[in-house]
Amino acid sequence: MDLLPLLKPRTVAVVGASDDPSKLGFHVMKSLKTWSYKGKIYPINPNRTFVMDTPTFRDLAQVDDLIDLAIIVVPNKRVEWVIGQCLEKNVKSIVLITAGFKESEGKEGALLQERLKDLVGDRIPVVGPNTFGLVSYHHGLNASFTPEFSLVPPGGAAIISQSGGISHLMAFLAMEQGLGLSYVVGLGNRLNVDFEHMLYHLAEDGPTKVAGLYVEGIEEPKRLLKAIKDVSDRIPVVVMKAGKGELADKASLSHTGSLAGSQKNYRFGILQSGGFVVEDVQSFLDLLKAYEILAPPKGNRVAILSGQAGPGIVALDACEDYGLSVKPFGKKTLSEIEEIIPPMAFRSNPVDLGPLWYDQSALVEIVKKVLKDPDIDAILFLMMFASANVNSIPALLEGLLDKRPEKPIFACIVAPKDIWQKEIKEGEAKGIFCNFSTPERAAKACAGMLSLEKRRYRI
Amino acid sequence: MDIIQSAMEMGLNQLTEHLAKEFLKGFGLPVTREFRVTSLEEAKACSKELGMPLVLKVDSPKIAHKTEKGLVITNVASQEALEQAFQELQNKHPLQEDEAILVQEMVEGKRELAMGLIRDPQFGPCVMFGLGGIFLEVLNDVTFRVAPLDMSDALEMLEEIRSHKILGQVRGMPEANKEKLAKMLVTLGEIGLNFQNIKEIDLNPVILRGSEPVIVDALIVLNRNE
Repeated sequence: MDLLPLLKPRTVAVVGASDDPSKLGFHVMKSLKTWSYKGKIYPINPNRTFVMDTPTFRDLAQVDDLIDLAIIVVPNKRVEWVIGQCLEKNVKSIVLITAGFKESEGKEGALLQERLKDLVGDRIPVVGPNTFGLVSYHHGLNASFTPEFSLVPPGGAAIISQSGGISHLMAFLAMEQGLGLSYVVGLGNRLNVDFEHMLYHLAEDGPTKVAGLYVEGIEEPKRLLKAIKDVSDRIPVVVMKAGKGELADKASLSHTGSLAGSQKNYRFGILQSGGFVVEDVQSFLDLLKAYEILAPPKGNRVAILSGQAGPGIVALDACEDYGLSVKPFGKKTLSEIEEIIPPMAFRSNPVDLGPLWYDQSALVEIVKKVLKDPDIDAILFLMMFASANVNSIPALLEGLLDKRPEKPIFACIVAPKDIWQKEIKEGEAKGIFCNFSTPERAAKACAGMLSLEKRRYRI
Repeated sequence: MDIIQSAMEMGLNQLTEHLAKEFLKGFGLPVTREFRVTSLEEAKACSKELGMPLVLKVDSPKIAHKTEKGLVITNVASQEALEQAFQELQNKHPLQEDEAILVQEMVEGKRELAMGLIRDPQFGPCVMFGLGGIFLEVLNDVTFRVAPLDMSDALEMLEEIRSHKILGQVRGMPEANKEKLAKMLVTLGEIGLNFQNIKEIDLNPVILRGSEPVIVDALIVLNRNE
C-alpha cells in the first residue's frame, strides 16, 4: 500500500465536517484550516452550504476532483456507506476517526470492523478506526481532531502510537521539551495500516531521523519484529511497550515456561530485531530527542564537564549506572586542561569548570580540547545558572557555532525561565548539543543511544 | 530422532532425565556422566566407573521436579552412603516398570545457571538463559530470545542477566566458557525449530565446573496435543 497520499495528500475531504464545536467534525476542520496545509480542502456535509467559510459538498461523488485523503468523522452506523463511496470515488487513503468498532464492548463493533476490513482489503490504506487521526508536520497537514498538535515544532522524530491519549501526552511534552516531530500517527484499531507499514514508509522518509513506537497489544508481533529488522540499519526504532504480553501458557510444566509468562513486553524480541525498548514515557522522548539532534556516540567513553562540582558527581554516578565509562584523561588532554584551569579544582574527568565562570573563552577552549581527544566519544556538559556565570552559555554557543561538533554533547543546562532559553533552543536547532533537565537524563539518553546503535549494527 | 519419536509413540508426556540427556548429548551438549540402574549391585559397579562423590536420583518419565519431592540425594561419598541412599530412594518411591535409579557423577561447582526452551503461541520457539539452581524462580533473573538465535544473540543473553558478573572471574573462579554457553543456547533454538514434538526444555542447573558448563538436570516436555 502506498502511504504517500495518506501522509502527503494534495487534496483532503472531510466527511462529517461541521460548524458545531460539539462535533469532532468541527475540530478536524479547524485542524486543517488553521495551520499551513496548502492542498485543497473539501468539507462534506449535506446540511450546510459552508463550513468555516469553505463551500461544502453533499457527498463525495459531488466533488469534481481527485481525492488523496478522506477524513471520516460520521457516526459509526454510516461508516460502511461512506467507505463504499470512497472506494467508488477512487479515494487514495482514509483516516477513520469514528469510534465504536473492535474497541467497544459489544460484539457489534467488532463485526462492523470485520465487514469494513472485507470491504477495503488492502486496496487503500485506512488509519483507524477509533483514532484522533494523524499529523504530517513537514506537509503542514493536521488530519486530527486536535488543532493544537500543530503547535509542536516540525522536526525529525516520528511518533506512531496505538493510543490516542499517549500520542497527546507525548506530543505536548515534546513541545515543552523542544523535541521536533515529523509525524504523529494514531493507529487506532489498525484496520489495515499497522506499525510495520509505517516503519517501512518512515525508513524512506527524508525528514524522519528516528521512529518511536508506542505499542499496547498486537496480534502478530513477528511482523513488527521483521519490520524493525528490515529498517533498523536506516532508521533507529525506539519502542515503548505497555501492558503485559502473555507469553506461553501459565500451566506450563517447566520453569522456563512459567518464567516466560513474566517476561512482559516482547522486550527480547524487539532487541533481537535491532530495536530498543524503553520503560517509560520520559525515556522514550529523551531518546527520540537525542537522535533528532545528535550524531550517536561511537563508544562509551564520556567526559564530564561541569560548571559545578555536585552535578558532575551526580552525572558520574549516573554514568556508572548506565554502563558509561568515565576515565581520567590521557596525558595530552590533561596537560592542556591543566594549563587552563588552576589546580584548585578537579581537572582530570570530571572537570570542574567552576574556576572559569569569569573566563568564557577558556571554558570554550576546554570543550574544544576535549572534543578533539581521540579517547573520548561523548561529552556530558553541565551548567547550572548562577548570576556570575550568566555569560557562559552564550559564549559556549558562540564558540561552537561555526561547526557542528563531530561528537555528541549531552547537556544539562538549567536556568530560570527567561535565561539561556534562546541559546538552548539555538544550540539544539544547530545540533551542537541536546539539553536535558537533569544529569541523569542526559547520561541515560547517551547510554540509550549507544545500546541502540549496538543493536542496529551488530549483524 | 528416535528418542523423541519412540517416546511419542509410547504416549509419554516427558522424557526421563536420562533420556533427555541422551537426546541432548546427540547435539554435542555437555551432560553429566551417569548410568541408569535397577539394582544395588549395578549401582556399585557404576560407582567404580564414575568415582565419588555421586548423586542418586529417581529417573522417571512421570516426575517433573524431583528435588521438590525428595527424590534426589546428593554428595554420596562412600559405599555405605551409596547403599543407604539407594535404599532410601526405593523406600520413598518404589520403582515402577519404566523407572530406574540414576547414578550420576556429582559436578563440583558453585555457579549454577539455567537454560530452557518454550514454544510461544506468537513467537514460536524461544530460548531462555538465566541464573539457575534455587535462584531461578526466586530472582527471576532470566532473558529470552526468539529462535533461531545467532551467536551474537546468544552472547548478548549472557551479558543481559542482572547477575552476569557471575560468568566472569569471581572469587578465584575462572571466567566461564562463554563461547560454549552461547553455542548451547543456539543449539537449543535449533532443537526447538527442528522438533515440533518438543514443547518445553528445562536445563537446570547447568553447573560451571571450573569454566566448563555441564548440564546436571534436564527436563524435556513433549507436545501431546497435536
